[in-house]
Amino acid sequence: MHTIISVAIDATLITMVLALAAFGLAIIYGLVGVVNMGHGAMLTLGAYLTWAAASAGAPFFLAVLLAGAGVGIVGLLLEHLVIRHFYKSPFDTLLLTWAFFLVTTEIIKIVFGTDFRNVASPFPGAIDIGTFKLPAYRTFVSILSGLIIAATAVVFFRTSIGIKIRALIQNPEVSSLLGLNIAATYKLVFGFGAFMAGLAGGLIAPMLSIDPYIGNIFLVRSFFVVIVGGIGQLLSGTVVGSFVIGGSETIFALFTSQVVAQAAVFLVAIVLLRFRPEGVFRDQ
Amino acid sequence: MSQISLSLRRRSAGVDRRFFAGETTAAAALFLILAAVPPIIAGYPTYILPQYMLFGVLAMSLSLLWGFAGIVSFGQAAFFSVGAYAMGLMMHQDYGFNPAYAGILIAIPAATLLAAVTGYFLFSAGARATYFVLVTLALSISAEQVAVSQSGITGGWNGLFVDRMELTFGPLGAVSLTDDARMFYFVLVIVICVYLLMRRLTTGKFGKVLVGIRENENRLTALGYDVAFYKTLAFALSGGVAGLAGALYATHANFVSPSLGGVLFSTQAVVWVAIGGRGSLLGALAGGIVVSSLTNYLSAVIPDYWQLALGFIFIVVIVFFKRGLAGLLESAFEALRHWRTAR
Repeated sequence: MHTIISVAIDATLITMVLALAAFGLAIIYGLVGVVNMGHGAMLTLGAYLTWAAASAGAPFFLAVLLAGAGVGIVGLLLEHLVIRHFYKSPFDTLLLTWAFFLVTTEIIKIVFGTDFRNVASPFPGAIDIGTFKLPAYRTFVSILSGLIIAATAVVFFRTSIGIKIRALIQNPEVSSLLGLNIAATYKLVFGFGAFMAGLAGGLIAPMLSIDPYIGNIFLVRSFFVVIVGGIGQLLSGTVVGSFVIGGSETIFALFTSQVVAQAAVFLVAIVLLRFRPEGVFRDQ
Repeated sequence: MSQISLSLRRRSAGVDRRFFAGETTAAAALFLILAAVPPIIAGYPTYILPQYMLFGVLAMSLSLLWGFAGIVSFGQAAFFSVGAYAMGLMMHQDYGFNPAYAGILIAIPAATLLAAVTGYFLFSAGARATYFVLVTLALSISAEQVAVSQSGITGGWNGLFVDRMELTFGPLGAVSLTDDARMFYFVLVIVICVYLLMRRLTTGKFGKVLVGIRENENRLTALGYDVAFYKTLAFALSGGVAGLAGALYATHANFVSPSLGGVLFSTQAVVWVAIGGRGSLLGALAGGIVVSSLTNYLSAVIPDYWQLALGFIFIVVIVFFKRGLAGLLESAFEALRHWRTAR
């Protein structure tokens, strides 16, 4: 019983952290239709900017916000200079965002070097609940992740900007005829996705040692989260996909090594994709 | 209407023929220049160029997919490393016959099989091009991680040391390839053979079907072609070619490490092919050789900025020169010809 509960706790924490990491990707992929291969680099950049701001003396949460804003601006620049010209050929946006990854990673290496960096956790230690110990910071990030997704849901379903975005996904042509500015809305969504990626990178930073390839760990997993959850199933899909990917990794890791567990998760995701290419929930 | 389409077809056939003649000349020139390296330059280039030629073969394996079938794989390095490890492991065995032959004979089918299984699994479900990229990316990550974690077999991060192979001809004797010039010519002959075989394949019916799939998958299905089968075949072939390149790389470099299967190496191949020209086998081969030679050279001169510059070149190629250097050269020659005839 004890093991089951501690595995469940682990799985929940991993699910929520993964959901946070994948959320920016889900926004850009699900709403704008760009397969953002630069997502990993955006997470990494978020982590480094947080480190830089924190080292310059900014309090942790301000540093994370600044990092999110910084990555958001970079994302807007990327969209404005390159991506917006290629919305009609999705495969080119995939290659271009991968080029963004290559360039950003090299710039990070030049500016910050390749040494490991560490960001001090704002909540070190663990919370004791009876016989279980919750790592304080991870728990905090998990709750925050849930709150961010819920807040986005409110904006998405309860505000006029949310209605505009949903209209745009459903039918770009008609919504532009009705006076919706497609270009500006895409830009807004892309920038918000990048902002979320930077924010996630910053929040994840204290959990890991930061190196220029840190985002890669999350890139493929985030993609599987989005695809397994179902593209366009922005909110529930991200959480469910994270649970499938993160949860199964936790369970596999009980029986075997971390590496084999990850390979097994990839296999599960690939098999799921093969039989449910529209995500686990969507009917064909 | 039929008149127009007929004349169009005739004209495009003319362009094709000229293009092929041009490609033959370019290929002959490239191979002759390469063949002249050991006697003229010797030294380090003779040692290192075979590796870059094998990278060029890896690039060709990707160009078969990308240029002809319109599928991009971000996991070609996985097949390269399967081939390399097959060679590395076999070279440490003793079955009473040339272990390098055993290595090659296992490397090619192993890589082909891995590609065929992955490919069939995805293509039979009609997986989208973007999914294919992600799955091959995952394949590449897994290949590297498996190589790291199964250290009992693969040596983990320490890698495997591999001897130079020996060519044995049964009772006729043997030639050791420890000499760099001999290894160079052996690899060059293999590269030429692979290029000719792949070119033959792509200019024949198989290549036409692949191009048909790239241009209009539904139409090919309607015409009765089993699209999934052809895509799988192309991917399997491309995996096999990458596996062969990996096996020869292992014995040339004397060393196999997990990063050979990694994402970075996989995507380097994508960059080579994009710059060399995705639609041309020769362009991809040249792209692999030239870009990796430049990388070697410039990494010593401007270590930090070369990879950055390469990233920007990649962007410029995708945005402005979709057909890469090969396409650029082709249009340059075309322009030259027009200029001549105009005078």
